[in-house]
Amino acid sequence: MSANSPMGLSVQLVKRLPDFSLEVDWQAGSEVVALFGPSGAGKSLTLQCLAGLTRPDRGRIVVGGTVFYDSDAGIDVPTQARRLGYVFQNYALFPHLTVEENVGFGLRARPRDERRGRVGEVLDRLDLRGLAARRPRELSGGQQQRVALGRALAVDPELLLLDEPLSALDAPLRRQLRRELVAVVREWRKPTVLVTHDLSEAFQLADRVVVYEGGRVVQAAPRAELLSAPASAQVARLMGVRNILSGHVVKAAIDRIQLDWRGQVLEAVNSPSHSYLPEAGTEIAFFIRPEYVRLIRKDRSPRDGHHMNTMAGRVVREEDSGTTWTLYFRLDAPGPPVHGDYDLEIEVPRMVYEILEIARDRAWELSVHRGSIHVLPT
Amino acid sequence: MLSAEIRSALWLSVEVAVAATLLNAIVGVPLAYALARRRFIGRGLVDLIVTLPLILPPTVTGYYLIVLLGRRGVLGAPLYSFTGWTVAFTPYAAIIAATVMALPLLVRTARAAIESVDRDLERASFTLGRPEWRTALEVTLPLARNGILAGLVLAFARALGEFGATLMLAGNIPGKTATMPLAIYTAVQSGESDEALLLVGILTALSCVVLIAAERLGARAR
Repeated sequence: MSANSPMGLSVQLVKRLPDFSLEVDWQAGSEVVALFGPSGAGKSLTLQCLAGLTRPDRGRIVVGGTVFYDSDAGIDVPTQARRLGYVFQNYALFPHLTVEENVGFGLRARPRDERRGRVGEVLDRLDLRGLAARRPRELSGGQQQRVALGRALAVDPELLLLDEPLSALDAPLRRQLRRELVAVVREWRKPTVLVTHDLSEAFQLADRVVVYEGGRVVQAAPRAELLSAPASAQVARLMGVRNILSGHVVKAAIDRIQLDWRGQVLEAVNSPSHSYLPEAGTEIAFFIRPEYVRLIRKDRSPRDGHHMNTMAGRVVREEDSGTTWTLYFRLDAPGPPVHGDYDLEIEVPRMVYEILEIARDRAWELSVHRGSIHVLPT
Repeated sequence: MLSAEIRSALWLSVEVAVAATLLNAIVGVPLAYALARRRFIGRGLVDLIVTLPLILPPTVTGYYLIVLLGRRGVLGAPLYSFTGWTVAFTPYAAIIAATVMALPLLVRTARAAIESVDRDLERASFTLGRPEWRTALEVTLPLARNGILAGLVLAFARALGEFGATLMLAGNIPGKTATMPLAIYTAVQSGESDEALLLVGILTALSCVVLIAAERLGARAR
């Protein structure tokens, strides 16, 4: 695996605190890694251990072939010698220094001319030249972020660490800065570890996602794999996946699984990465993405052959989510619905909602392609 | 217009207070930094000893200083046997007494200012290659500057008005160790109320100036 590649990152940590314990082990290549998970999962603590700001109880940290920490060998490289670029949650810009002095802070050991040249280069690349003489408090949130990035990147770090880099900003600005951050991170091509509790941030910025919960890693995978094949119902839930359901296996084969849910037999594609072959009757978790549920149009008959896994029921409630509508759908099948008064969440684009007159017409048949039913290992 | 005695008391007081304030800066600021940012064995004890003069009657602090520095004191006796000189009843004794009495004011004020500096700023400095002592000089202390200056102003004011401990260790020798507070006491005791009134006025005015300065610095620190 990438663990032994010279540019890779290998992290094994045990750290016990009075009311929390961190025990993680993950590897990555020379790519952007997102540590994703809820607050208090140990993501920031991991970042601090990587930076040497917190000492783990046990473990080993190797970055690009350099051992930063190894409890068995008694190695603990001090923070100052790790050659890091660390962008703090609130940027931690030095308020008593100008933008130029902030960016040059890590370069004091270099000769003056070289330092000035490097600072100028960084200011130009991040479009900060005009702000060189300002103090941090005179800058907007976005400008502060760029200064923080510039200060971190000016030292040519071996490893770039970003702790919730966008959480200090409000939503519209965050979208814009996320794009800027993606551009900067891609352009500078440094091995990067990003901490975030925002899934879309993790997906836009990272190649690989390490999912944290309660001080443990519950999955580490390339981002594409994470959505198509969450390692467990727990991971799916952490990723905010809706319609996580539970049924019973009817028949399992290498490529297909038939399962019984609410009295209906559904057919799903078996997990592409690791096929499970549970016995008939085994309880199995699966999820259906709300945006992949199709409403069957009543004005198009005879029905074409593309529909499978059809179910009939009623819309009991709906919510306007701006560009889409979320429908709460209750099956006609007997028995209590899964979530109080409904079984499935369905998301339809606003236009579809209006054309189909869903506000007026409540009874629908729907279908789900077998590729859109994702089975989850338990 | 001012008598020789009053003039000497005034200058002596200013000299003692300036010297004590300088000593406070040299000893107290590193001490405040260590108490705010470092965990070391005996930290609680150091904190206690530095703070005690704030609570104890000044004469008690003065007594301890005699035990420590007097001619037969723990440090004073060896000093005397080697050099034949003792610090007691010299202007240096007045400086030491004022320093010790003012130290808790500086240390507590400076410590609070240092503790209020965002630790992420220090961490950022570490990640950018700065060792701790340089981080302290370039980040922590500059950002705590106003609080430290306010502490020094308070220490100066305390040193200027010191009476009890100074009397114990330095005595009340006109022209040598009699600072203004001691001269006021002497004047009142010997019934020279005009002289006492003048000294009281000068000291009150000086204290007001100092307090206003400390207030301004404190406001800027926040």
